[in-house]
Amino acid sequence: MSAVTANPARRRSPFWRAVISDTGIVALIYVLLYALYAFWQPDALSLYTFTDLVNNSTPLALAAAGETLVVISRGFDLSVAGVVSLTNVLMAVYPLDGPGGALASLLMCCAIGAFVGMINGILVARLGLQTIAATLGTMIICQGLALVILDAPGGMVADFVTYTLTDTLFGVVPIAGLFLVAAVVLWLAFRRTNTGIGLYAIGADEQSARFSGVAVSGVRITAFVGAGILYGVAGFMLSAQTATGNPTAGTPFLMLTFAAVALGGTPLGGGRGSLVGSILGAGTLMLLQKVLFSGGVSSFYTGIFQGVVLVLAIVFGNTVARLLKKDEAR
Amino acid sequence: MNAHKDMAMPFEASSDRRGRQKLDRETVNTLVVFGLSIVLIVCSRFISPALGSWSQVLTVLILASFLIILSFGQGLVILIGGLDLSIPALITLGGVLTTTWIGTGDAGVWYMLPAILVVCAMVGAVSGIGIVWLKVPPFIMTMATSIVVASVALGYTSGTPRGGSPSSLLWLMKSWFLGVPVVIYFTLAFILFGWLLQNFTALGRRLRALGTNRNAALIAGVGVNRLELVPYAISAACAGFVGMMLVGYSNGATLRMGDSYMLPSIAAVVIGGSSILGGSGTFIGTVGGAILLTTLGTVISAIGLSEGWRTIIEGAIIVGALLVLRGEFLTHVGNRMLTRGK
Repeated sequence: MSAVTANPARRRSPFWRAVISDTGIVALIYVLLYALYAFWQPDALSLYTFTDLVNNSTPLALAAAGETLVVISRGFDLSVAGVVSLTNVLMAVYPLDGPGGALASLLMCCAIGAFVGMINGILVARLGLQTIAATLGTMIICQGLALVILDAPGGMVADFVTYTLTDTLFGVVPIAGLFLVAAVVLWLAFRRTNTGIGLYAIGADEQSARFSGVAVSGVRITAFVGAGILYGVAGFMLSAQTATGNPTAGTPFLMLTFAAVALGGTPLGGGRGSLVGSILGAGTLMLLQKVLFSGGVSSFYTGIFQGVVLVLAIVFGNTVARLLKKDEAR
Repeated sequence: MNAHKDMAMPFEASSDRRGRQKLDRETVNTLVVFGLSIVLIVCSRFISPALGSWSQVLTVLILASFLIILSFGQGLVILIGGLDLSIPALITLGGVLTTTWIGTGDAGVWYMLPAILVVCAMVGAVSGIGIVWLKVPPFIMTMATSIVVASVALGYTSGTPRGGSPSSLLWLMKSWFLGVPVVIYFTLAFILFGWLLQNFTALGRRLRALGTNRNAALIAGVGVNRLELVPYAISAACAGFVGMMLVGYSNGATLRMGDSYMLPSIAAVVIGGSSILGGSGTFIGTVGGAILLTTLGTVISAIGLSEGWRTIIEGAIIVGALLVLRGEFLTHVGNRMLTRGK
């Protein structure tokens, strides 16, 4: 049952399947947008610009990847904004230098994310709260904690973190990109496990998943914990980017992650979708900002485009989902 | 607190229209929220002698009036199972349009204020259209509207809103009548209006039906699609109006004037006993939630806790209220008390 849901569009030709799949369309959009960017900004094809773009996109991509886990299981996770703010502030107020310090910081961010995710999971799966309501509460509490730790933008992230994580490996591979690759590899392994299949199953139909023997609350909690860890890493990477702390750093993530998820072909109704699509969706959103900027749109008005893109992304996701459903029914 | 409850409850129970000797969850919750507010006001005297005085109570009520009006709109949206995250942006829009279109003096205020409210309501209706026809989840659609409106306000004012408050809004917010600020009379009238609208009009009943069960409402002949736009439009107009009130209160608009109202507007509704799933909740409960939150906010700032702690407490209250309201916990407690009282 869930295997069918996870691999939709069986009857079409392989080419059409690849295009209309979860990730095909967003990959296509990304390439087209990049071509437009290169047209306006000739140095877009240089390694430097590409590294810069990957660095900029990584925090949002990781956050969107985390959100995808929850969305696939038919839920919404607003705590992303709180976790990103909280980890960012902690990185700036308690900088730990050197490779060991960076590793400790990363583990700390993951632990915070996992803890918040665990609370979300328990509130939703064991205490029966609605996902939006429960995660709204944890988001507010995390944002409050971030404000308590640092009440105004400031602080300094450790130099090692700032320089190393925005650098390239062997002068070619952006290090931030390695985090994304790691997330994708883990995801591809995870979605083949029983829990991973259960994730799609409860998103498609929780009741029948339960009757089929899926441990619904366990899977839900796993999804929230996994999402929380990814938000923690997103906060870690954001800190490496900005090199400073801001108690409201996570707020823009709230809207952008949902846009990235929807753009990446994961319908907000759950039961379908892929983390890879969301990462590409996040990349597309960041690229779009660059394109608008190089196209000469005033920064005052970028909000208008973001809002419109968010709505269009969701309408687009709904349409793709409907197409796929029709395809399955055939 | 207990004495207050014991006295009030049998009376409430006998006035129950269904005539059963049981209290429904909403009534119990409303009583608890109002009771807690009173206890908090009385106890706040121990924290600081300035708190708990009559003038302090009036200040709390003035501050609560913003939240009461906002959470009426938010409450209607939550009643139909939605969530409005565009409230801060619409407060700013209402405020900025008031200072730039009318400004100081009172030129054309009688048609400009309604015109601004209509603009806000139309923005809310656009959110509603996205939710109903484009099938965008409510919180995402209102978030999108919010960022677009905030961006327009930023671009329109080039970052710094100019102008001051029209004198009629100054009069509304600053003047007193018979020893009580005018705005409190206004808020009382608004509460009466909201209560009547939610409980005694076809619109109120239809909205509740829509929130309880959309399909059943459709079968019962309610035009659900058009109806679903209404709460978003009302919520936006309420937010726009609060923007005007804030202009009168602080004699000017800022681009961030609405930011601190988003969470309280949701919290007031949830604490007031509305289900976040929609279909249940009373405006009177929400009013109690707004007063309780504002009192709590005043006490928190009197203790000298920072903005961060205040946010944490707000979040904890939301989660706590959700957990308590989730089951029939309060009904259970209420009926226990009732039977013991007899």
